[in-house]
Amino acid sequence: MKVTVKRWHAIAQWQWDIGRTDEHGDAEEDVCGICRVPFEGCCPTCKVPGDDCPLIWGECSHVFHMHCLLKWIGTVASKQQCPMDRRPWVTAERKVTTNGS
Amino acid sequence: MASDALQKQVATKWQDSFNRLNRGYPGISGLMGFSEAWAIAADFLYPRELGDPPKDFNTQKVRSAFDVLIQCRMLPMLLESFVEDMRRRQHLITHDVMEFMAEYEASGDPDAIGRLILRLADWYMAWAPGGELGHTLSSAYIVNFQTHIFSILPPAFAGGFKRLIAATLALSTEPADAAGPSSVQDSKLWTSFELLGLADRYESLIASVCYEHIENHVLETCQGKWDEPMLSTLREWMADKVVPWMLLPYGRGAKTTEEARTMLQGVGSRFDFHVCKTLCDLRTKEIFDIIIDYPESSPALYDLKECLQRVDQRPQLVQALRKLNKRRLLHPGADTKDILTQYVSIIRCLRIIDPPGVLLFKVADPIRRYLRERPDTIRSIVASLVVDAESGDSLVDENEPIQPLQGPQVDDYMDPNWEPEPIDAGPEFRTNKPSDVISTLVSIYDSKDLFIKELQVLLAQRLLAIKDGNYEKERRNIEILKIRFGEAPLQVCEVMLKDMTDSRRIDQHVQSQTTSIMHPTIISRHFWPQLQSSKINMPGQLKDIQESYAREYTTFKPDKKLRWLSHLGSIHLDIELQDRTVTADVPPLEAAFIELFSEKDQWTVDELIARVGPVDRTTALKALLAWVDLGVLKEEEDSSFRLLEQADISGALRPSGSRVIMEDEPAVVSVQQQQAEQMKVFWKFIEGMLTNLGSLPLDRIQTMLKFAPGYDRTVDQLAAFMEAARREGLVTVREGMWKLNR
Ligand SMILES: [Zn+2]
Ligand SMILES: [Zn+2]
Ligand SMILES: [Zn+2]
Repeated sequence: MKVTVKRWHAIAQWQWDIGRTDEHGDAEEDVCGICRVPFEGCCPTCKVPGDDCPLIWGECSHVFHMHCLLKWIGTVASKQQCPMDRRPWVTAERKVTTNGS
Repeated sequence: MASDALQKQVATKWQDSFNRLNRGYPGISGLMGFSEAWAIAADFLYPRELGDPPKDFNTQKVRSAFDVLIQCRMLPMLLESFVEDMRRRQHLITHDVMEFMAEYEASGDPDAIGRLILRLADWYMAWAPGGELGHTLSSAYIVNFQTHIFSILPPAFAGGFKRLIAATLALSTEPADAAGPSSVQDSKLWTSFELLGLADRYESLIASVCYEHIENHVLETCQGKWDEPMLSTLREWMADKVVPWMLLPYGRGAKTTEEARTMLQGVGSRFDFHVCKTLCDLRTKEIFDIIIDYPESSPALYDLKECLQRVDQRPQLVQALRKLNKRRLLHPGADTKDILTQYVSIIRCLRIIDPPGVLLFKVADPIRRYLRERPDTIRSIVASLVVDAESGDSLVDENEPIQPLQGPQVDDYMDPNWEPEPIDAGPEFRTNKPSDVISTLVSIYDSKDLFIKELQVLLAQRLLAIKDGNYEKERRNIEILKIRFGEAPLQVCEVMLKDMTDSRRIDQHVQSQTTSIMHPTIISRHFWPQLQSSKINMPGQLKDIQESYAREYTTFKPDKKLRWLSHLGSIHLDIELQDRTVTADVPPLEAAFIELFSEKDQWTVDELIARVGPVDRTTALKALLAWVDLGVLKEEEDSSFRLLEQADISGALRPSGSRVIMEDEPAVVSVQQQQAEQMKVFWKFIEGMLTNLGSLPLDRIQTMLKFAPGYDRTVDQLAAFMEAARREGLVTVREGMWKLNR
């Protein structure tokens, strides 16, 4: 017998790749430490998730919705520090392969 | 022995009366004149046989004879003697009455009554003293003659008279139908009624004949005839056929048409009222089916509206419709969709009859309360909100403008068109300015959030089922829903649509890099309703396809990755066997299983499950049996499955070749489905008790089921289940008693 797949209409969810291998663990949902909304949701000011409301990575390894962090950094109280560990915020360079488009 | 005084008194009296009779003539010549006058007058008045030749009277002589008697003040005496004569000769008339009545009772033919009346009129004329002899005499005659007649007429006469009147009316309204008894057509008939005092005596009977005639005519011509206006036709019929007849009893003595019209005005209005009332009663009785037939039946509704303006029967209409709704609509056997459809028709129909909405308010209340109790009401309403070209039976009228939902109305005193509430409105009535049907349906519930949730579920189901990437219809639906519900609540649906667009764009890119037979829909999970979760592992080449696509995706979107919902979607595949090729469009689990069969020919269910991952046995079996149905697999005795490289001719001939499977279970979980499944467990209890006890009412079944382990259903849920069982032919119900269908 030979099975030939002609066409596959599949369903998938997208996820941010935040550098953790939790392929099988959906137990802990990753949420933004500032707004407590899942990363795959969007920050309180956005309505559309994903590329329109991207994440930002710190050198300290903390991840936030970019909009949330920028808003935080904009406040005096933030003293330009990561809200989680109070270290000066340094945005990490993500090692990304240049994409095609 | 009389005393002198007494004797003297008698003598004086006698002298007085002698003087009066003699009228002062010499001797007794006056007295002689009186005798002669008496003889002439009495002879003139004497009640004769009908056949007798009229005596040749000299009018002058009779006249003067009466003058003499009047002078002598003997007229009362003469009258007395005339009445006595009439009494003595009454047997002549009685004889005729008996004869005609006997004929009528034998034949039942009202013509006999007609002829009897004509005959009585002849008697009347024959005995009448004639008006020229003075009012006293003629009115005394009329009273006496009529009293005689009425004392003779037997009880059966009234019935016969009624039939005679009916015959005259029939002659007027359906002249072609029956030639009718000849007396009916006699123009003297109605004059005779008048002469004999029958018209007055039987006035209400005559009216009742007309009422009954109207009722029959309305029933005959209007019953079930809803597609054209009938009230105007009825009124024309009244004017053309009934009014000419009405002139006979009610326009008696009219000299001019003008006079007749005035005389008929009062009675005409009474009969018109009766037409309206009869039609109103009929339409009230038919109202449920009229509503079903809407809009074809709208002429009937406009008629009813007009009738109700004339006849105040609004409470009866409300009561009738509520009763019919309860009996025919609000029961467990009715589909929610049908209840909603009828409710929407009720809204539209009652708005025609009563634009302010008081009737609707009163009728709608029980329907709304009932719908609120049903688990699938919201889903049904939502389904109808989403225009579906295929089903085409939307509750929403396409011509109705799409407008934002309207909340509960508050009286707007600034509104120049504000009108006070109708008097029968009742305290709870809120002016229901004609809001659109959807607003009315959504307002069954206090909150519209439930609708939004259900909308998401429905939209998700539909979007995930789309294979050709064409979701324009859904986009249009969302646009319409945004107008109704506002932008904000539908934001989530916007994201779902955007996911569809993005998926397509991403797929185009991926395909441009590495062609793949896979075309996924990639969703933003927090913006979709909860999907059935099951993490099956696709084997073999299927896994390769997934992985290669995911790799390509991550290359395109470096900070993202894909997580497959492998059990969702569908796979189109060819299966090349030794002697045939089977083409099928199957759910992923079925594809996964058949892919495993390319590793080896025979698998047990447990082995397959071990390879694929967390799948329950029932689901696994169902997937395998689908292949058995296609003749690709064969179930072996040891509950394993074997690949049929060569078609199994011994077994039942399975249609091979292409098969398209619609996903029978929606990817999105439905609570109701789960409940229905659980209910089946209790069927064997029900079957057992009905086997042992014959037939049982619902509440007994409910009471007994409470002993079954884990039974926690309400009696309404049980009713719905029993109704479903009845539709499947398992049970029957009669007068509330359920029994097994054997
Ligand atoms: Zn955030
Ligand atoms: Zn944002
Ligand atoms: Zn940090």
